[in-house]
Amino acid sequence: MKRIRQISVFVENRPGRLLEVVDLLGKNGINIKALSLADSSDFGIVRLVVKGVDDAIKVLKENGFTVRETPIIACMIEDKPGSLAKILRTLAENEINIEYMYGFASPIEGKAVMVFKFSETEKAQEILNKNNIKMLTQEEIREI
Amino acid sequence: MIYNDEMETLPREALEALQLKRLQNTVERVYNLVPFYRRKFEEAKVKPEDIKSLDDLKRLPFTTKQDLRDNYPFGLFTIPLEQVVRVHASSGTTGKPTVVGYSKRDVDVWSDLMARSLAATGVTKGDIIQNAYGYGLFTGGLGVHYGGERLGATVIPISGGNTKKQIMIMKDFGSTVLTATPSYTLYLAETMEEMGIKREELKLKVGILGAEPWSDEMRKAIEEKLGIDALDIYGLSEIMGPGVAIECIEAKNGLHIWEDAFIPEIIDPETGKVLPDGEEGELVITTILKEAIPLIRYRTRDITRIIKEPCKCGRTHRRIERIKGRTDDMLIIRGVNIFPSQIESLLMETEGVEPHYQIIVDRVNNLDTMEIIVEVSENIFSDEIKHLQKLKERIEKDIKDLYGITVKVTLSEPKTLQRFEGKAKRVIDKRKI
Repeated sequence: MKRIRQISVFVENRPGRLLEVVDLLGKNGINIKALSLADSSDFGIVRLVVKGVDDAIKVLKENGFTVRETPIIACMIEDKPGSLAKILRTLAENEINIEYMYGFASPIEGKAVMVFKFSETEKAQEILNKNNIKMLTQEEIREI
Repeated sequence: MIYNDEMETLPREALEALQLKRLQNTVERVYNLVPFYRRKFEEAKVKPEDIKSLDDLKRLPFTTKQDLRDNYPFGLFTIPLEQVVRVHASSGTTGKPTVVGYSKRDVDVWSDLMARSLAATGVTKGDIIQNAYGYGLFTGGLGVHYGGERLGATVIPISGGNTKKQIMIMKDFGSTVLTATPSYTLYLAETMEEMGIKREELKLKVGILGAEPWSDEMRKAIEEKLGIDALDIYGLSEIMGPGVAIECIEAKNGLHIWEDAFIPEIIDPETGKVLPDGEEGELVITTILKEAIPLIRYRTRDITRIIKEPCKCGRTHRRIERIKGRTDDMLIIRGVNIFPSQIESLLMETEGVEPHYQIIVDRVNNLDTMEIIVEVSENIFSDEIKHLQKLKERIEKDIKDLYGITVKVTLSEPKTLQRFEGKAKRVIDKRKI
């Protein structure tokens, strides 16, 4: 099971709210590896991959945020034109639906890291394995 | 347990005879001692001797909160201040507060009725009552306090607020009874969860909750979270304070109103016409045992109905149904009448939704709008927008289907809605009519 731990945080759609989340993590020495913001008209969900998941959850909860942890998949791909299209094509051909995806802030030289939430995680993982697409573990994330 | 067996199970006929005698005394008293009442009675062309049966009660004029304000502070008292041993006042959110006074006998009667009420919920002298109603001008704190002492229980006069300390004391002292508002009780239960204290660590067995309208769904949530029986208590400072009516533990269905001290009527709030038992309307109470400030046909503005069917507990005093709302809480949204308690019930039936909500009513381009702000707890939070959108839409659809009004549901972060440690502020009406 190559899953990594993602933290989702509920935020109201108002100025400075994302800053508060990020600032809180920064002040507690928690490094953000990847972040995406999904929004609707009046609220948003901040999704984060961090170093120090347990500390991050603790500090966010203590400050009154609603937090949820979700297992997601992180794939390492070549940092060159067409490589994301290639993996997405593989997934599409196998009828794997992506709920959401986003990229890492600072991956390894020459590589890019994308995180995915699939509708059917098991099946997606199987396809990715079969096609030799490298998935990262939580330990590997920590080392990036 | 029945505290005063003789009075609480008095046959209806004897009870009504007693009521008539006490009503006649009260009417005579206010007519002779309070100029306000004499004037009102004269306007209504009724004299004390016209009250020959309980049915004649409806010939008397109503008394309203405004009358109390107009006679602020002591204008409706029937006794000189030297004989008044205590005053209380209601929170005057608009204008002056309404002031009530108690003679020595009034405090005595109140203590008795409150002791009866506590006993009806199963409290005995071996119990430890954590009294989280506010002490002060508000009647909640001292009312419960005196009743608890009268019963012989141990009362912890902790008052409201200071939630973490409340929980510590509840645990360390082994409190068995909690008296508080339902909204504060839920807040307390939540804080307990946050502190990592399990309900098994407490000795709490019953909660006697009141001072604001609440729903059966909220009762279930409180009972579930704290592992207690949550019972409804009713009272208002103008009439006495807590202990006017109480739910008995045997039936847990409707509140016995102490009819040897109060005569309840249900009226149509628009026309003032008395409605038959069983019909819903505004509760009107006449006090028949009070000395300092008896009130004749006081309009409580609370909406309920009288349950006339006998109760299995054996008490002969009739029950009123759980208060549905107040006439002044009733929202009229584009011509549709709706009570905040109806919204609350619906939210609590939606799985996982915590009963923390606020209703904001406004008027935009001459159209009434209603927004319901619901806090997102961990139970309903998802990492996917579409799940939260669906929840929001489901609540909107349910309200539309049930009540025919279009509302906007807004999800908010937890604890952003103001927590009131006393009464919950559920509705903000921004309409200027």
